Amino acid sequence: MTALLEIKDLHANVGNKEILKGLNLTIKAGEVHAIMGPNGCGKSTLSAVITGNPAYTVTAGEILFKGEDLLKMTPDERANKGVFLAFQHPIELPGVGLAQFLKAALNAKRKANGEEPIDAVQFMKYMNVRATALGISNEMLKRPVNVGFSGGEKKRLETFQMAMLEPDFCILDEMDSGLDVDALKVVGQGVSVMREPKRSFMIITHHDDLLQYVTPDQVSIMRDGQIIKTGGPELVEQVEASGYDNF
Amino acid sequence: MTTSNPFLIHSQENVVIKNSDDKSWVFEVGKDGNLWADFLQMTDDLKVVVNLQDVNARCQINCAYLTNKNNKINIDIKVLHKSKNTTSEQHIKGIATDESRVSFKGIIEIPKSSQKCDGRQHHRGLVLSPKAKIEATPQLEIWADDVVCSHGSAIGPLDVNQLFYLQTRGLSESEAKKILLSSFLGDLMPEEFSDTIQQWMDENA
Repeated sequence: MTALLEIKDLHANVGNKEILKGLNLTIKAGEVHAIMGPNGCGKSTLSAVITGNPAYTVTAGEILFKGEDLLKMTPDERANKGVFLAFQHPIELPGVGLAQFLKAALNAKRKANGEEPIDAVQFMKYMNVRATALGISNEMLKRPVNVGFSGGEKKRLETFQMAMLEPDFCILDEMDSGLDVDALKVVGQGVSVMREPKRSFMIITHHDDLLQYVTPDQVSIMRDGQIIKTGGPELVEQVEASGYDNF
Repeated sequence: MTTSNPFLIHSQENVVIKNSDDKSWVFEVGKDGNLWADFLQMTDDLKVVVNLQDVNARCQINCAYLTNKNNKINIDIKVLHKSKNTTSEQHIKGIATDESRVSFKGIIEIPKSSQKCDGRQHHRGLVLSPKAKIEATPQLEIWADDVVCSHGSAIGPLDVNQLFYLQTRGLSESEAKKILLSSFLGDLMPEEFSDTIQQWMDENA
């Protein structure tokens, strides 16, 4: 397996406060990689920096995605190269219908790949197959993006967006926080169905809820802005047994 | 639509237009009369006075403004509830970019003799650049005590979190802005103005 994502000595700030302090991480193509760490260790900052959130400043280091310098790209260029973030707190877009929004997103990706826009009938078919598989009703598709949905429904919708855009690299940021078992199953199922040799997942979490439904290939433990240990799925059990203090 | 400041009068039952030169309007709404008018302002000032003359007169004034470059516009909308049992609604929304300036003044006046009136005014403004400015002066002059009145004004920038969320789905900054600006205006303006609005978005988002 070749490296899809390589992060080297990454330092990043919010304002003047350094959050990432020399982080190194490699995620191979096809790998499901869990990032585990206590609250406040910088996990969500890592996802924000990979996706280009302007609230964070990279002060040193590099991120290579498919061998290209990700930090030089705008957030939409990163997305169209195949980076997807399922948000911990999905943003509400009042007045923007979900189906219309997904069509615009899909066509942006097609345009970036030099493809023609998808026609309306094709799009409906493409969308309905994925909506049915993830239990997204027609009524939900007509509503504005994330407005008035419960926490569980919002995460289900993030999973649905991921299935629609078929990215090569999926970051799931704390998808399991505040989820009931049914919603966890849907997210877990979404990941399992989409798992394939060219697609990688980075699952950010501080406990093992989602990892009971998706077995990671690799697990990295994060503390204080750095990856301090990387290993196999057995690390999940170690965390559950004795917390993060022993790493 | 080629005019830069289009308007549309949807309904004018028992309405007399006292004066109009496209920039300045005086409407008189009579008994059981109904006025519904939409205005889209881009470069010109707008002055609207609505006199609700007799019982059950009602009006709805919708106004959107889209300003750019160093344009400065004033929008004055005044509704006078001259009779009891009259109803008014004003919905004003707008977007200012570049170095443009918008001053919106909205007045609802209800004299003491005009009981059982309902007057509402809502304004929201989006400022897209640091040098653009929107000022809103809502003014309620209510002398009657048995009336329903509400007004609200909110002015702010685009939500950076919404913008980022759209960009993470592959939409360019400009496409993302257009989506947010269109949803901000919503269905305030009629279909007839959509080409004008779309063109403005394409040039300014």
